[in-house]
Amino acid sequence: MIWAIMIIAGLFTFVMRFVMLSGIAPRKLPTVFDEARNFVPIAVLTAILVPAVMISEDKNIMLLDNAHLPAAIIAVVVALISRSIVITICVGLGTLWFLRFMGFP
Amino acid sequence: MPLGKHSPNSGSKIITGSARSEFWAGVRDELPLQLGVVPFGLIFGMLGITSGLTPLQTILMSSILFGGASQVVFAQLWANGAPPLFVGASVSVINLRHVLYSASVAPYLRQLPLRWRIALAYLLTDEAYAVSIKHFLERPTNPFRHFHLLGAGMTLWVFWQISTIIGVFASATIPEELSLGFAIPLTFIAIVTPTIRTRPDLLACVTSAGLALAGQGLPWNSGILVAAIGGVLAGWLLHSFKRLKVMR
Repeated sequence: MIWAIMIIAGLFTFVMRFVMLSGIAPRKLPTVFDEARNFVPIAVLTAILVPAVMISEDKNIMLLDNAHLPAAIIAVVVALISRSIVITICVGLGTLWFLRFMGFP
Repeated sequence: MPLGKHSPNSGSKIITGSARSEFWAGVRDELPLQLGVVPFGLIFGMLGITSGLTPLQTILMSSILFGGASQVVFAQLWANGAPPLFVGASVSVINLRHVLYSASVAPYLRQLPLRWRIALAYLLTDEAYAVSIKHFLERPTNPFRHFHLLGAGMTLWVFWQISTIIGVFASATIPEELSLGFAIPLTFIAIVTPTIRTRPDLLACVTSAGLALAGQGLPWNSGILVAAIGGVLAGWLLHSFKRLKVMR
């Protein structure tokens, strides 16, 4: 079953990469698509990352006693300044380890 | 492979030389980005195993889907027992941006033979697109420019596969206390934060975050899909509203 889903999802992904090169699709995308495009990566990635930072395994929102949250906030600041994925990952993970070391849950 | 009509009489040496230099330029341009790709691949490899996928499933997903964020979501949804249709729909929404990449490179690649367009479409990822579109814009008339995308795409492919494989086999030896899985949200923070430039961008982000938290109770992680669609809608609505005001 998992193989079938994986292959179908892979085919879908390929079609999305190929469609505008296929010669069948119109040369220009509809304007709505063009206008909405900036928001797709922002909305999708935020939807994945926020629960990963703030939701505990038993599906509760964790504001306090959650070392991931301050580490993530520092990572946002570092990302704004450095604009580097590697530096952001290093500082974020470093902060998490430091907070854990200091006894943060 | 060579575009015959551009150089019907020139020797094949010149053609291969030029194609080769474009290919290696693509490889060189792509290499620095591997600093972000390799850790992501390692983490995906480990995450696949901790999500309950077999090593073979995890490794082959990296070539079947070949898209980091969508692979992570696939593994997480699968681990949560989401229905197959929903897993497929979420992966598709996340990969929708590739239609835009495809549209953006189409003017440069449209004339190529079908086998070239199929190969380059498969290799059209965020990182390869980013370096090759820059190259295409700088050298719009180079007849061998597609070799640049081939070089960039193949470089990324090789690094992605190797790092996934290492991640799969390292997952047993890396202690849980290191919380390396946290590198995935950190990667997304690093990608998203610099792209938020306008108020509609910010609204899209905040709406998506709010819906993702509010939608935690929804079955099979469907909060992710609701939040993604809601965020895009909110950003687009504010964008359209602002434009209406400007027009008036």
